[in-house]
Amino acid sequence: MVTEKIAFTIDGRAMTAQTGETLLQVASRNGIFIPTLCHDKRITKTTSCFVCVVRHVQSGRFVPSCAATPQPGHDYESSSAAVYEMRQTALNLLLSEHSGDCESPCTIACPAHAQVEEYVRAGRKGDFREALRIIKERIPLPISIGRVCPRFCEKDCRRNINGTPVAINEFKRLAADLHYDEYMEALPPLGDKKVAIVGAGPAGLASAYFLRRQGITSQIFERMPQPGGMLRYGIPEYRLPKSLLNRELAHFEKMGGIFINCGVTLGRDIQLETLQQEYDAVVISIGCWKAASMRCDGEALAQDGIAWLGKVAQADWTGKNPGRTIVIGGGNTAMDCVRTAIRLGSNNVSCYYRRTENEMPAEQIEIDEAREEGVKFAFLTAPVRLEKKGNLLKLTCIRMELGEPDASGRRRPVPVNGSEFSVEADTVIAAIGQHTDAPSGLKTNKWGDVDVNAESLHVIDNVYSAGDCVSGAATVVEAVAAGRKVAIAIANQLTGKICNVPETINVSRGHWRSMDPNSLAKLRDASDDARISLHHISLDARRTTFSEVTLTANTAAVSSEGERCYECACTSRDTCKLKQHSEKYGAKPGAIRGKQRFLDYDTRHPVIIHDRNKCIKCGICIKICNEVINQTLLGYKNRGYLTEVGTAYNTGFPGSCTDCMSCIDACPTGALDRRLKQ
Amino acid sequence: MQINEIRVGVSSCGLAAGAQDVLNLLKERTDVPVLGVGCIGHCYAEPLVEVITDAGSLLFRNIQGTTKDIDAVLSLNTKNNPEKQLHIRSERTSRENLRITGLIGKSEPVDIDAYVSFGGFDGLKKALRMAPESVVDEVKQSQLRGRGGGGFSTGVKWSLLAAKSSGDKVIICNGDEGDPGAFMDRSLMESLPYQVLEGMLIAAHATGATKLFIYCRAEYPLAIRNIRIAIDKVRELQLNAIGGTPLDIEVKEGAGAFVCGEETALIHSLEGKRGMPRFRPPYPTDSGYHGLPSMISNVETFANVPVILRDGAASFSSVGTAGGRGTKLFALAGDIKYPGLVEVPMGITLGEIIYEIGGAEPGSVKAVQTGGPSGGCIPASLFDTPVDYDSLNSLGAIMGSGGLIVIGNNRCMVETARYFLDFTHRESCGKCTFCRVGAKRMFETLEQITAGDGTKDDIAFLEDMGRKVKAGSLCGLGATAPNPVLATLRYFRSEFEAHVVDKQCPALECAALCDVTIDKALCTECKLCLKNCALNAISEDYVVDNDICTRCNSCIESCAQDAIARVKAGQGYRGSVEREVG
Repeated sequence: MVTEKIAFTIDGRAMTAQTGETLLQVASRNGIFIPTLCHDKRITKTTSCFVCVVRHVQSGRFVPSCAATPQPGHDYESSSAAVYEMRQTALNLLLSEHSGDCESPCTIACPAHAQVEEYVRAGRKGDFREALRIIKERIPLPISIGRVCPRFCEKDCRRNINGTPVAINEFKRLAADLHYDEYMEALPPLGDKKVAIVGAGPAGLASAYFLRRQGITSQIFERMPQPGGMLRYGIPEYRLPKSLLNRELAHFEKMGGIFINCGVTLGRDIQLETLQQEYDAVVISIGCWKAASMRCDGEALAQDGIAWLGKVAQADWTGKNPGRTIVIGGGNTAMDCVRTAIRLGSNNVSCYYRRTENEMPAEQIEIDEAREEGVKFAFLTAPVRLEKKGNLLKLTCIRMELGEPDASGRRRPVPVNGSEFSVEADTVIAAIGQHTDAPSGLKTNKWGDVDVNAESLHVIDNVYSAGDCVSGAATVVEAVAAGRKVAIAIANQLTGKICNVPETINVSRGHWRSMDPNSLAKLRDASDDARISLHHISLDARRTTFSEVTLTANTAAVSSEGERCYECACTSRDTCKLKQHSEKYGAKPGAIRGKQRFLDYDTRHPVIIHDRNKCIKCGICIKICNEVINQTLLGYKNRGYLTEVGTAYNTGFPGSCTDCMSCIDACPTGALDRRLKQ
Repeated sequence: MQINEIRVGVSSCGLAAGAQDVLNLLKERTDVPVLGVGCIGHCYAEPLVEVITDAGSLLFRNIQGTTKDIDAVLSLNTKNNPEKQLHIRSERTSRENLRITGLIGKSEPVDIDAYVSFGGFDGLKKALRMAPESVVDEVKQSQLRGRGGGGFSTGVKWSLLAAKSSGDKVIICNGDEGDPGAFMDRSLMESLPYQVLEGMLIAAHATGATKLFIYCRAEYPLAIRNIRIAIDKVRELQLNAIGGTPLDIEVKEGAGAFVCGEETALIHSLEGKRGMPRFRPPYPTDSGYHGLPSMISNVETFANVPVILRDGAASFSSVGTAGGRGTKLFALAGDIKYPGLVEVPMGITLGEIIYEIGGAEPGSVKAVQTGGPSGGCIPASLFDTPVDYDSLNSLGAIMGSGGLIVIGNNRCMVETARYFLDFTHRESCGKCTFCRVGAKRMFETLEQITAGDGTKDDIAFLEDMGRKVKAGSLCGLGATAPNPVLATLRYFRSEFEAHVVDKQCPALECAALCDVTIDKALCTECKLCLKNCALNAISEDYVVDNDICTRCNSCIESCAQDAIARVKAGQGYRGSVEREVG
């Protein structure tokens, strides 16, 4: 055959094609990227995904570049807005039927985006050093967080469908306990950039850590005598022993390039303007320490919960018996106060809360353990007045009932007329919330927190802010996540890179609460054993000492807990073309809504796992098997939206499958994959 | 009067209405020849019996296999049974032009001698005397365009195949008529199998084809049977010996996939593969059945060819308009008095077909859907449009293969669009993203609107996605699937807006967007509605609780007083509202 040269243009660039050459071939030869999901050089054209469309200028029509050949003298567009939109829509449509989990729900749930499934798997295989390495990519305070985290990951764990979640935090705790001291991450040499950080709490420490990992020096200024912030002065010793905290914090100075200066208060010893001038950037991470008002008469007679805990902490968890103690509030700080009061010797400790136990913001485990330790609870009770009565305090309260839901979705407590009553107490502690005491000169939002750009945590000039002082009182893991975010933003700013973390998408099968237990597709045969049970010290020791309540589980127990993990994440997420192209073209799961189908995984093949929910029906596997391998083990069935790729009569891959894996390697998504999660 | 012959219409439409019993009984009762003939297109009158007497012919309609009806026919008694006599209305006869279907109803469809006696195979004989290229020219000059819906010039298509030098060439007759409500091709294959075959043989002579296929959907057993008998007879008489050697003619039964009407999908199906379209080019004339040059045309296109050859191209093209020459078969269905099959010249207006031939009351019709589920609706205000390929395209509809579904005023256009998309989205082969998923998402959106859960954004979504599905689909199925939606949005947008904004269905068809009430002034308290309501939604004092009612219409149909009716949403009683207030 005589080969002709066909001259045409793509995006205005002149090019020539051989007879029979497709637009896609010519484009890729000329360095023009065209996304495609259904094209494979080894097979005849499938022309199914329509992600590769280009626009034929003369007719205005869109043509699939994988199949269309250029017409001589004609023009094609590959980068116009119209083409971008068609590609994006094609991807959005595919995402609307594509069902799976790019990442595990636990990883998505973690505010710090720790690779939960990965470190649980490392632990399951007994490699806790590797687990720690994975954890520390996102969580620089694993000893603390391994103890005090409210476990967002476990709340979203798919195992909740059939009982209890995997005890994820025990992996973090054990990995840190075993290897924290010896593990040192690979660090780049320090450059000449330096950052001032105000506050050595979790957010400040995490900012310093992640800055150091990018070669940036930091000076942390801390007003308290020792670093740690709430970890030291808010969270009681029995939850987080300060000897362990000291171990954890020692690592920061060991990294080199992180300097902590204690007893330095912003506005008194140092000024923001000075820091701004002397450092390349400043991070305000001063936390959230100001007590919220009870809005009742005589409230000055009550102790402020956070300050009261701080005093006990500074006395090394000693202090005089507070006597008959009433703590007002239902959050974690209130629980810390009641349990600390018990440990200081009081045998009469009550918690008063204006709603019911269901509405308490405290973690359930904290409530349960407080109750075990002898704390009494009075619900639907609000303070009205606090008076001195001799050496005692007289607290007048009113009974409440629940009314309509308020802005937080919780039912609003309403006073019951004429239900006032009074009690006497030696100590009344108010623990009803904290506010940020923002430094003067920084803009604040309506809650009084520092106002930042949500993406970069940038405040003004070279000032950034992270942690509780931005978010309001939150968790350690959220503070750590904010520290990482601010460090990346600063590093990008200082090194001249624009904050260009590519936007990632995550496809999810949905929250376990909305899933049918029978539709739960598992990528591995997880164990159905009961969740690991943890060892606690005796109740007597809990009431009388500040010893840590819960003991770290042993290696064998935690490893076998890992067998319970379903390992939900897609094995192909790093190579998935649907994900890559979607990210490039701004396509997002949920952009187009519609019914999805849930089909069982086909796990009958010893090596191949076939997840039809992820299949985009491109047909590559069918043709690879047929045209390259000369087998016909896969085919299309059904019509319309019910079309699926499968084996004949759904009998599974027959014995004639040579396990060549060609279909798996060619699959653009994770619909066909190796059974990796053994 | 002397009866010479009796003809009973025994096409599928007649058989479905009971014609076989009529045929059998008549044969038992009389010695005159009783023939089972093809369908003459008056579906509303089936079973239809024509009695040929020495004084002319008499038509009897709706004859059942009862002694009374058979007696009426044999006694030629029309006085006692005036309703049994069919007078073909002049409104119809004056507009018909039976060039293709003229032989239907005159003899048994598989009777080759009768076909020959009526001038059958004259076109073939004439063609065989001509050089192949002259035959191609004749067809080109006739300006015949493909009757399957594409409207591509048949002569040009033939010349493309004729130009191929390769040994084996294939001609495929596309009888995969898939549009709901269309039955032109079935009728032709059942009633005129020889004419279809003759057209194919002429094409084989003109193009040098060596292998002929008739691809017919398996749901047409009578068409398959008649075509197979016709092939056997043609072989017997060696009429298939074009160019010396007998040509191979084969019937292939399709499994009923709508997409197999698309030529590349049809070829895959013919090859024994799953019917899935592929990208063109290469066109089938370059690489078709097993890679051989192949030409695919619709049944009606082939049925036109013998007439063109017999009467000449000039005679053919003297009928019709520039946008379409010759006559066209239409299958009339829907909200119309006289549904059936009709052959009319191109250029006739929609109004003439619907009001005159179809007998629809002016003012009772809202729109007509042309081209089946791939086509679009045309509102009654545009019924003076002449029917040809180009004028229908310009209205956002298509000629298609000839289905005309008349939509009455009591129909909801959103529901109509939903109905058609329900069909097409299920029939997608599942390959192209836009068709498989996009059409599904459009269908879901329409379901949402008809269920009363639609928003204004849904209308914008339908328009945007409709445009993209058309642009992003490989074959005609996906490229036309959004047409019913886009056309209804173009002409009946206010109905969509009423659904999403006012939460009302103006036609009172969408169950979620209307209520049912009983007019106490008309109600005689006969209890029929109470008895017929499966959900006990009607109280003892004759109030319909619209929270329980599913709008099944049982009560409305049961009411002898017409006291029960659908009303606008919100006008009926709703028990839960009362209960909450109480």
